[in-house]
Amino acid sequence: MTELAQPPGRFREVAREKLADAHVQGALDAATNRLYGLREAGWAGLDDVEELRERARAIRSATIADLDRHLADFTRAVEARGGHVRFCRTAAEATEYVVEVCRRTGANVAAKGKSMASEEIALNEALEAAGVRPVETDLGEYILQLAGEHPVHIIAPAIEKTAEDVAALLSAVEGEPVSAELEELTQTARRQLREVFLTADVGITGANFGVAETGSICLVTNEGNGRMTASLPRVHIALMGMERVVPTLADLTVLLRLLARSGTGQKLSTYTTLFTGPRRGDEPDGPEELHVVILDNGRSNLLGSRYEEMLNCIRCGACLNVCPVYRKTGGAAYGPVYSGPMGAVLTPLLVGLERAPSLPHASSLCGACTAACPVKIPLHELLLDLRQDLAERGLASRVERLGFALWSLAWSTPLGYRLSTTLARLGQPLALRAGLAPRAWTAGRALPRLARRRFRDRR
Amino acid sequence: MRVQLFATCLGDLLFPAAVEDAEFLLREAGCAVEFPRSQVCCGQPAFNAGHRGAARRVARTFVSAFDRGAPIVCPSGSCTTMVAHSLPELLGCEPYPVWELSAFLHAQGFVPPARNGGRRLAYHDSCHMLRELGISEAPRALLERSGAEVVSLPRADLCCGFGGTFSVRQPEVSVAMADDKLGGAHGADALVTADPGCLMHLRGRAQKARFGPPLVHLATALARGVPE
Repeated sequence: MTELAQPPGRFREVAREKLADAHVQGALDAATNRLYGLREAGWAGLDDVEELRERARAIRSATIADLDRHLADFTRAVEARGGHVRFCRTAAEATEYVVEVCRRTGANVAAKGKSMASEEIALNEALEAAGVRPVETDLGEYILQLAGEHPVHIIAPAIEKTAEDVAALLSAVEGEPVSAELEELTQTARRQLREVFLTADVGITGANFGVAETGSICLVTNEGNGRMTASLPRVHIALMGMERVVPTLADLTVLLRLLARSGTGQKLSTYTTLFTGPRRGDEPDGPEELHVVILDNGRSNLLGSRYEEMLNCIRCGACLNVCPVYRKTGGAAYGPVYSGPMGAVLTPLLVGLERAPSLPHASSLCGACTAACPVKIPLHELLLDLRQDLAERGLASRVERLGFALWSLAWSTPLGYRLSTTLARLGQPLALRAGLAPRAWTAGRALPRLARRRFRDRR
Repeated sequence: MRVQLFATCLGDLLFPAAVEDAEFLLREAGCAVEFPRSQVCCGQPAFNAGHRGAARRVARTFVSAFDRGAPIVCPSGSCTTMVAHSLPELLGCEPYPVWELSAFLHAQGFVPPARNGGRRLAYHDSCHMLRELGISEAPRALLERSGAEVVSLPRADLCCGFGGTFSVRQPEVSVAMADDKLGGAHGADALVTADPGCLMHLRGRAQKARFGPPLVHLATALARGVPE
């Protein structure tokens, strides 16, 4: 799938652009520092966060280990309540199904709640091609849609935009200037979006979780737009990654206690909604039809592999917020959909390592992500495993392979070490004079000089 | 007590004075310090880049150089982590009794010479030492016992940007991370770290950009004191 693929060199190229943009750097710094502090405080509010993380991890791992059964239970439960379920192996299957439902409904406008899965399958493009106008209703996503950009954070998609940026975008829609004052911005967006909720024929949302016990879709938002998207239009389509099933409501409560706390520090997000089936006979509102689209799109590659634990991810965004690399590069460097440490692990697994070879190296392996993950995914260890796969599958550069091969030959004996480092010391001044200093190091840093007498020569 | 000193490749080649300072501190703490002369490197540079074969070839030198009969002490949090956490899995060998220098000295109840009276020192937590080994108190306690006031860095949890090959694969990001760290230490008499990798990177950046406080290895700060 071309949307997610990330050619080598692209990460560095985008990172350089973002580093040179003081505006983006300021926004990233402020947002990540704030979210870091909020999560710390959110976790501190729990009696025993370690015990809860361990329970959450156990629930996720047990579910993924028996995913077929839980998905079958979930499907039966949704159908028993009058919903339709479609399992889609690929992005194309999923977009075709959604387009088909829209066509059958005669939809002109589709209201969309925030859904990273829909970004993953490039659903908006597919809808537009079919003559359906998708309108994002999450404020951040709406802003990005107006700007023609992709999300740069999985829970705060427009994290790099300032109030002034937003005012300019909303002014263009209004046809008159909107001030950058937060309340006016919110009111304006609210008015613009209210139209959409009332006229849309189809509402498309993501799904934070699907509960197998009840067939419910759990949706977590802070704006209430998910609830409107799912209940006002005549048809509700929920798009869910196949790993997002939880067996019971009791399991769901464990994950919900961690989800918002880890992302934004909230005990719960402002709106936590469970949708169970379409409108029933005596109910005054709700959609007439409910379709749940369960998406594989490469996820089964992970099942039974050493990367299976990545399917435990609940998309809280904590790893992005703590990542020292993400806070410098922002999300775009990782590609148009998933970013930060979770994106650096997940994207190569979904599209194939050869199509995103620089992502496993887009980390200093500092381990802050692993320490912040509410379901204890060892993200930095998975990045290391991916690096091993790159090396073993011959996807590392020839210079790199040759370099490490020669280095390891020289340093496999004490004699080789002494000889090679003596040569290096004698050669260093000559190499520097000849302009052979490694640019990647010396462009920003002074090159350390090898000591005339090593420690071992001093004893 | 007999201890085996693991200098690490960066210590041996770039910062021999810091390793001498580590040796001095261990002697002061009453240890008989051995330096196994056949030691080379733990293999971490290749290991963290994903080249396990290369890492294994180099890591085997560690097995021939060190025995398990006495603590192995190392003035690097990152190399200590490699030996403690990755070597047994990489080579299929028994774990080694390996200690990061400050954790070892702190566990011995060592009181360093009072050479840092009146100094305000910032301490940079290196990532592996902080998160994989869980060592954050020992270096600070030792610096305080040497008379220093340890000032906190903003967002002390953040990596300095070295990260082995990351520093040359993503040099711009790596350097920007160093700038944040150096900027955060503004006003301190020195920025102290227990890792030669962070030291090489941060010092190299500070020299090139001509900003930030002097960069000092923890062993040097404790053994000689930070000059005013």
